[in-house]
Amino acid sequence: MKIRLLALLLCANSAHADTPQQILDGLVAQAGPASVTRGEKLFRGKFSGGKTADSCTACHTENAKLPGQHARTHKAIDPIAPVAQKDRFTDAAKVEKWFKRNCQEVLGRVCSAQEKADFTAYMISVK
Amino acid sequence: MGITWKNLLTLILSVAATVMVINNAPADDEAIFPMPAGKTYVEECGSCHTAYAPGLLPARSWRRMMGELDNHFGEDASLSEPQQLEILKALETLAADGNQANMRMRRIHGAIPAGTAPQRISETGYFKFMHDEVRPSIWKRKKIGTLANCIACHTRANEGRYGEREVRIPQ
Repeated sequence: MKIRLLALLLCANSAHADTPQQILDGLVAQAGPASVTRGEKLFRGKFSGGKTADSCTACHTENAKLPGQHARTHKAIDPIAPVAQKDRFTDAAKVEKWFKRNCQEVLGRVCSAQEKADFTAYMISVK
Repeated sequence: MGITWKNLLTLILSVAATVMVINNAPADDEAIFPMPAGKTYVEECGSCHTAYAPGLLPARSWRRMMGELDNHFGEDASLSEPQQLEILKALETLAADGNQANMRMRRIHGAIPAGTAPQRISETGYFKFMHDEVRPSIWKRKKIGTLANCIACHTRANEGRYGEREVRIPQ
């Protein structure tokens, strides 16, 4: 009984806080297999579609484990890699929100499910 | 009355208690602004920039800003409608010309010409007056960079605290 209750509690808890792997699984279910290499290329790529910055690294820096800084407001940004910042990629709604904003700001368009899966796979792979 | 251990101890304790009270009391000159309740404001607005205290601008400025979020200083900062309405309501309530405005907020409002709805806090008279001693070279420091980066020096700005004693200027 105690174990069942504990399991129930853990399940209830995981509805709010996912692991980065669970977030990735959700994206892969929509996109197909993710590629760490493609994800890194997206992270480091230079683009011209967006108005805020020409790359992810403009704000998040070349090293995903280090704190970044907003390109326009200069506000400090916590590291984006989950290995360095525990709450990264643990809330699906938050992940979607930031893909929506940042893809528009850098690429000038929405990101595909494949791009999101690749990007997330790369961030998880950063050790 | 001679000095006894008992009254010496009483003296020490009362001095210590007084020091604690003085250190913890918000002094009259500390700029503390009311902030919206809940997490929405800091999480939505405060993720790209400081969660500016609503009392730094009048309600008409916030109304215009919240009506133009799809072009927010050149960027699309759109929110869901419930969030947009929740934040606007809080901003209007706590604005510089709101019902509960304190003396400082009224001064901020008083320095803004009627009929204008400034969008940048840094362009208001009060901001300029309060920061006139900050050298241009300090604003250019990497960790500060822009006039919009309040939280770089006012480390508790997201709690509405702009008091001078809590200013820490990064090198």
